[in-house]
Amino acid sequence: MHRPFSYKLNIFLFLLPALILFVGILIAPIAMSAYYSLTEWNGLGIPKFIGLQNYVELFTSKSINIMRALKNAMLLAVLSVCIQLPFALLLALKLSRHVKGERWYLAIYFMPVLISSVVIGQLWIKIYNPEYGALNMFLRSVGLDSWTRIWLGDKNVAFGACLVPILWQYVGYHMLLMYAGIKGMPADLNEAAMLDGCTPAQVSWYITIPYIRPILRVSVIFAVTGSLKSFDMIYVLTNGGPNHATELPSTLMINLLFLRNRYGMGSTIAVMLIVLCFVFAMLINLAFKEEK
Amino acid sequence: MKKLVALMLAAIMLLGIASAVAEDVTLNLWTIAVESDSSYQTFIDAIAAFEAAHPGVKVNHEPTQNEQYKIKIKAAMSAGTDLPDVFFTWGMGFLGEFVAADRVLNLDEYYPAYQEELPVNMTANASYDGKLFGVPYTMSEVVLFANMEILASVGYDHIPTTIEEMNECCDALLAAGITPFGVSGKELWCLSEYLEPLMIKSVGTERLIKLYNGEESWNNPDVIAAVEAFQNLVNKNYFDPNAAALGNDEVKTNFIAGKYAFYQNGSWNCGDIDKSENPAKFQAGLFPVLNADNASLYELIGGPNNTLAVTATTEHKEEAVALAFELGRFMSDADYKSGANLPCWTPDPDAQVSDLVSQVADIAAKSEGMVLFGDNFLSADQANTYLDYIGLAYAGDITPEEFAQGMDDTLYNK
Repeated sequence: MHRPFSYKLNIFLFLLPALILFVGILIAPIAMSAYYSLTEWNGLGIPKFIGLQNYVELFTSKSINIMRALKNAMLLAVLSVCIQLPFALLLALKLSRHVKGERWYLAIYFMPVLISSVVIGQLWIKIYNPEYGALNMFLRSVGLDSWTRIWLGDKNVAFGACLVPILWQYVGYHMLLMYAGIKGMPADLNEAAMLDGCTPAQVSWYITIPYIRPILRVSVIFAVTGSLKSFDMIYVLTNGGPNHATELPSTLMINLLFLRNRYGMGSTIAVMLIVLCFVFAMLINLAFKEEK
Repeated sequence: MKKLVALMLAAIMLLGIASAVAEDVTLNLWTIAVESDSSYQTFIDAIAAFEAAHPGVKVNHEPTQNEQYKIKIKAAMSAGTDLPDVFFTWGMGFLGEFVAADRVLNLDEYYPAYQEELPVNMTANASYDGKLFGVPYTMSEVVLFANMEILASVGYDHIPTTIEEMNECCDALLAAGITPFGVSGKELWCLSEYLEPLMIKSVGTERLIKLYNGEESWNNPDVIAAVEAFQNLVNKNYFDPNAAALGNDEVKTNFIAGKYAFYQNGSWNCGDIDKSENPAKFQAGLFPVLNADNASLYELIGGPNNTLAVTATTEHKEEAVALAFELGRFMSDADYKSGANLPCWTPDPDAQVSDLVSQVADIAAKSEGMVLFGDNFLSADQANTYLDYIGLAYAGDITPEEFAQGMDDTLYNK
């Protein structure tokens, strides 16, 4: 006999552990951050409620200079979408065409994703070393001495230098997502197009790319939100320096939270990041929906 | 049969109780003495000596690298859980915030037992409202390390004693293709090791303390003169042009390898310099006076700073307090002998120390005033803003006047 109440109770009981985890790990910390963002708190005493003062200070303080960090994050997001993703797509398209050694190439391109950012950061610190680094040594060896720089110490080039390893590291990740999408395509779609006389480039442009649009949407969301949240590589390479030239919202947040003991202001940046990631994810979804 | 079972159960229970009674007390100790730190081995030795003197007490030493440690201890203090029993800390502002939050044990009732060996004047930076909250074990001061072989190569047999002579010496070094000063522009506190001695030798001890306390405006000619002198060092290319990309360890290694003539940093570097192939070529001195009307050569940046404190929540108060004091005493003595730092505790009169450590100790003995490092003196938020301004001044992004005005505006809302 069907008993609706018992049925709903079962559903509730089975969902309860996941609900507890979801609320405890995700919702509660966000709610706590939102509360702390309205307080002045050094992390040790009793938080003092100050309303929206932290938000006002965040966007007006020259000392914090959140706009510089946001500008850097947006630049990273744009370059991720405009350089990292097209490059990953090209690799995925190429590798999915039964290239000799396909598995090896996949493993090699994916390797940077598996290696710790700290290790990659240290590797690039060595590459960028102004004295013995591979980059300056190469430039000197080809007579381009005037192009040598203190790559991570010159505020005019430091962020650009940081962008290279950040973009490079995750090419393999997006490539794998797209590769999986392409491999999941029914073979007859491509075959039919080829029989109709399409070139490989036309097949890619008119058949493959539209087919993997959901994957591309996910990649764009990951690239943009990942850029906004990006932290580890910058922390290792420059820790936001020189003179905050490479600061991102997350490095600024860590600085305020743990070096300056401004837990209220740090939480304000955390809330801002959550809102930004959410808004951008919505906008990207909307953009892909409209295209459809 | 029932009696036998009951007896066996009782025996098991007694055994359990007995083993619980005999169980070791484990004290958790957090420090910054990672393996590459000059105090690492001293800590290991000090802990071994403590454990030998206190059977049944084990010390679980958890070292963390300096910058990460600051984050770790603050996060733990903030959460108030999983705190160590004893922890390393810096005095004044750093420890002060934990004290204000009641996270640190007051040591007043334990101090008299050690007062004879640990003079009261050494406890000032760990005392708040007249109450002692930490066991200082070493003091340090900013000194100007010089490579005398390099100086001799440009005709100097001594560390320049006036600003004019220092400039001439640096010009001669540059002409000979040698970088005068090594500094890490990547670690802002290293820049403060150059600016603060200039500051104290321009404004004097008392006024520098007033500046840090917000009792005097930074916007005055003497502060501006100090920042100008600092920026002159940069503008004249006296610093390593690659400084912005170098960490302090790299700079120290370069100095020891003979890349720079001078390296101005804390006296804790003596141990590393003494380990070099030819330590005799290095001397410790002081940066010349900037304004003789306000300051003298022996007005110094530094003071008792490296401190051990006991958390208020420790479950083993007596053992933890003993660990803090006894480790402090051991570290003070051993760090002094190894050249890692100057002692806060009365040193062993027969201690054999290197020439470099003797020179640093001699400078401390002649001290006519001492002000703690600015980033330790100030609160965490103020200290980081202050270091930011120093970084901006070093990069030439702000003028000395903007530095002074910025300090007033940002730190003290004047």
